[in-house]
Amino acid sequence: MTAQLQFSELTEAEKMEAFLARIDRGEKIEADDWMPDEYRHQLIKLIAMHGISEIMGALPEKEWVPKAPTLRRKLAIMAKVQDEMGHGQLLLRVAEDLMAPLGKTREDLMEDLFAKRLKFHNVFHMETPTWADAGVIGWLVDGAAILTQTMSLDTSYAPYARALQRICAEEKFHAQHGESIVLELAEGTAEQRKMLQEALNRWWQPLLMFFGPPEDGNISSNQSINIRYKIRTQTNEQLRQSFLKKYLPRIFHLGFTVPDETIHYDEEKDVWVYKQPDWEWFKQIIKGNGPRSAHRLHLRESSYREAQWVRDAILAYGRQVG
Amino acid sequence: MRKMSENTKNSRNFDIYEVFSQKTVQSPFVHQFSLLAPNAEVALAMARENFLRREPCFNLWVVKRDDIHALPPEERPFLERLDNKSYRETKGYGDLQSRWRRHREAYEARQKQNQANSGSQAGGM
Repeated sequence: MTAQLQFSELTEAEKMEAFLARIDRGEKIEADDWMPDEYRHQLIKLIAMHGISEIMGALPEKEWVPKAPTLRRKLAIMAKVQDEMGHGQLLLRVAEDLMAPLGKTREDLMEDLFAKRLKFHNVFHMETPTWADAGVIGWLVDGAAILTQTMSLDTSYAPYARALQRICAEEKFHAQHGESIVLELAEGTAEQRKMLQEALNRWWQPLLMFFGPPEDGNISSNQSINIRYKIRTQTNEQLRQSFLKKYLPRIFHLGFTVPDETIHYDEEKDVWVYKQPDWEWFKQIIKGNGPRSAHRLHLRESSYREAQWVRDAILAYGRQVG
Repeated sequence: MRKMSENTKNSRNFDIYEVFSQKTVQSPFVHQFSLLAPNAEVALAMARENFLRREPCFNLWVVKRDDIHALPPEERPFLERLDNKSYRETKGYGDLQSRWRRHREAYEARQKQNQANSGSQAGGM
């Protein structure tokens, strides 16, 4: 009781100082702890975007559920789609608890998504014209997501860290699911290899963009604030370099190329030197003007509106029995 | 003590449920995560969909977050234990084994001595 009184007697500046000291000591913050508004807003922005990206991220692969080449492949890709929706559920809960003091709910997030105020990952705005795209998503998009999410396991916000522990365990299955599709095609006919190479060409720029623009880019960035609060520990470029180090050799081992004739490894600096993707295009994509943005947003919104009566009915039933 | 959350009514009056599951009959219940549901029946179904797609599970609980009372953040630091209660722990009794050994060895030494004594008596007969 005394401690409680003492803490509430602190000035805002003193509370902030105590909070930053906790962050510096490596302590984790819980939903009901005092936190600066900036920390709360950064978390809401990051976690809502992550959660909605999981949900929108299920849609490109969902397109391949009816067309999967074998029953086992169909079951596997259905399981993956279901996992992504499950991850979305976890992350939306984390975001909702953060938004509760602001009087906002999951409905607000959905409306923000439909109005294009809430953005989702650039990769989920792209087309998936062939089965090889489904493979490349699992292998490289999930591979990229594993790198960012593994970094975020150390995040200072404990509920996010707990959600990520569950998510990372399942993402490993997703990457293997993708690798399995990719290896099947890579070991297949000339036609299958051609299909895979074309998918790699299509996904190369979106994959570079996935980690966001580099610090010295023109787009304003929240990276430094998030690093100060230990919400994240690595920059966009550090993550992109880890991705290139891990996956470029594997692309080459399979005898494939990437659509960048200038790409090379600088041994002295220990970095891959690559041609910058079109960051103006990136801006357009995340604004909701990508090739499949309108289609997928429409699908998400119509399914949300059409299922409204189910939620209403279940709520009315719940009140009666419960 | 206070309610775990001041604002657990969410999303048009759906409730927040905390989910606990038990891996085997001998395992303790472990907190999994939370979810939104209109009632306990739906919460139980959602819990299986959301958290038990792979893991083995023996039993499942869902609890309305409103019904959970949690320690406020300001009181949590006092949970930390001072390291001055060795009498409550096995490490406070680390001398026992060597003492038992000393007694056993002394006993064995006495036994040996007795045998030697009775042996010399027999030899003297």
